[in-house]
Amino acid sequence: MRRSRFPLYTVMGLVLFLYIPLVIVMANSFNLSRYGGQWGGFTLKWYSKLFSDRTIWYAFRNSLIIAFSSTATSMVLGTTAAIALYRFKTRFQNLHRLFIHLPLVMPDILVGISLLLFFVALKVKLGLFTIFLAHVTFCISYVAMVVLGRLQDFNYAVIEAAMDLGASWFTAVRRVMIPMLAPGIMAGGLLAFTLSIDDFVITFFVSGPGSATLPLYIYSMIRHGSPMVINALTGIFLVFTFSVVILSKKLLEEK
Amino acid sequence: MKRISTLSFVLLLVALFFVSCSKQKELHVYTWADYMSADVITEFEKNENCRVILDFFDSNEALYAKVKAGATGYDLYICSSYMVSIMKNQNMLQDLDKSRIANIANVDKGYLKLALDPDMNHSVPYMISFAGIAYNKEKIKNFVPSWTMFERSDLKGRMTLLNDVRETIGAALKVNGYSYNSLNDAELKKARDTVMRWKKNIAKFDVDEAKRGLEAGEFFLIHNYNGDALQLIDQNDKIAFAVPREGTSITCDDLVIPATAVNTDLAYRFINHLLAPEVSAKNMEFINYLAPNTAAQKLMPEDFMNNPAVRPSKDIMKKSDVLKDLGENNIKYSKIWDEIKSGE
Repeated sequence: MRRSRFPLYTVMGLVLFLYIPLVIVMANSFNLSRYGGQWGGFTLKWYSKLFSDRTIWYAFRNSLIIAFSSTATSMVLGTTAAIALYRFKTRFQNLHRLFIHLPLVMPDILVGISLLLFFVALKVKLGLFTIFLAHVTFCISYVAMVVLGRLQDFNYAVIEAAMDLGASWFTAVRRVMIPMLAPGIMAGGLLAFTLSIDDFVITFFVSGPGSATLPLYIYSMIRHGSPMVINALTGIFLVFTFSVVILSKKLLEEK
Repeated sequence: MKRISTLSFVLLLVALFFVSCSKQKELHVYTWADYMSADVITEFEKNENCRVILDFFDSNEALYAKVKAGATGYDLYICSSYMVSIMKNQNMLQDLDKSRIANIANVDKGYLKLALDPDMNHSVPYMISFAGIAYNKEKIKNFVPSWTMFERSDLKGRMTLLNDVRETIGAALKVNGYSYNSLNDAELKKARDTVMRWKKNIAKFDVDEAKRGLEAGEFFLIHNYNGDALQLIDQNDKIAFAVPREGTSITCDDLVIPATAVNTDLAYRFINHLLAPEVSAKNMEFINYLAPNTAAQKLMPEDFMNNPAVRPSKDIMKKSDVLKDLGENNIKYSKIWDEIKSGE
């Protein structure tokens, strides 16, 4: 039977549609021509301009602080959430599962504005700390989902064996379960990291004075700034995000 | 796992260290990114022994949504005039004590006649930009700096108008001799008919594609903003920019002190600093926009001041309008815009 070529074409079309713009942005970041309408020659000018801007570095620093701290926190909280969901099957855990899923489906703008109103009502000073809290709320879900996936192939007999040999439940989790889950936890963490470092909408609302992150800066530059510097920045980010995603994929495949 | 947790703990400590190591006075400015020369900021920091921290929004509406919801901690906003009047009406801004801004005398009186806050009671203008016509000098014969260019059927399919209700209907109002902010139904109807006539000649209503099209030679004449035109001219010397003689729309970004400002004193000093002639000139050079600052304009090179993409002539300025927020009346415009978009 001859196979239809249609799925192949569809996939090719989709891949082109998704990735061509990224390739163009990357190529344009080396384009000497300021508007990117035509090729004006190869240059690293935009990258050097990017690296000499102190506000960009300040924003980048903020982004990294947020990404690292919220990733670390959500790795711990997300993993414990996943273990709880795996271990206990009660009605409360169903509710728990719902809570884990909610941030994945809630529109960012809703989360952003309601967190802002919440912080304002509690009189929490807006700043890096509030961005950190907001990012943890959605990062937990991603870590928990990835770890839960890994728990599905987890053989509970290993824990029982450990406990037979005298380990307490807590020791068994710490010494046996967590090391076995480590690739999943790392993968979830890396996913959380990329999400945190890219986030714009939620961050915009909960950021306070002095806590602008890189995405906030980039979006704002679109009005007055040079589009080519944005291309250069996008280029760096793309390479960075792609390598993190590839790394996280590698970790997940490891058995 | 142990390694991971140690690593993340160290990182958290580093983060905390970074966050907690500032003791100087701070001025928090909420503004557009890349909208002020870095030298200007460093100079101010040195003079006042303080730190200026910039935060960014991507649209006037985003700024409004955020501060309206209660976000505080900013000492100065730089945003467009129409948004300033909205915020003023909601008591979100402080009235300015002009005696604390010595350099306020430098502000261009000619511009103030058009401004939405002509007495500078709560805002001081920072930079102005405006709409106009960018065109390809080689392809267009007998160019006239006028909105009537859109009537030319020999350029059919080679022109674009801005895909913006206020700009495009406004241009049509202006060519008929009315104001960009007109609320008169008869005037608006006339403007609609004008745009309908133009629509037959233009390729499309567009903002970003048009720029690329003009540079690539697909379009010969586009309705766009001076800042974009400057970048296009910089790139392609066949392109020129003109401000229609009937007048155009002016957008101004203003400096305002929010009601919730913490460091009001420093904010006043910063406004004063930005209005100093050399400082304002440095900013003009950096952004390539015109600051309505008479003393600073005298310091600018002649080719900058005579560039139509930087400064409209005095006569045209007088005939131009600063776009106002029309509040509930915006619906009048959107209704006409729908008719234009769907009509033949």
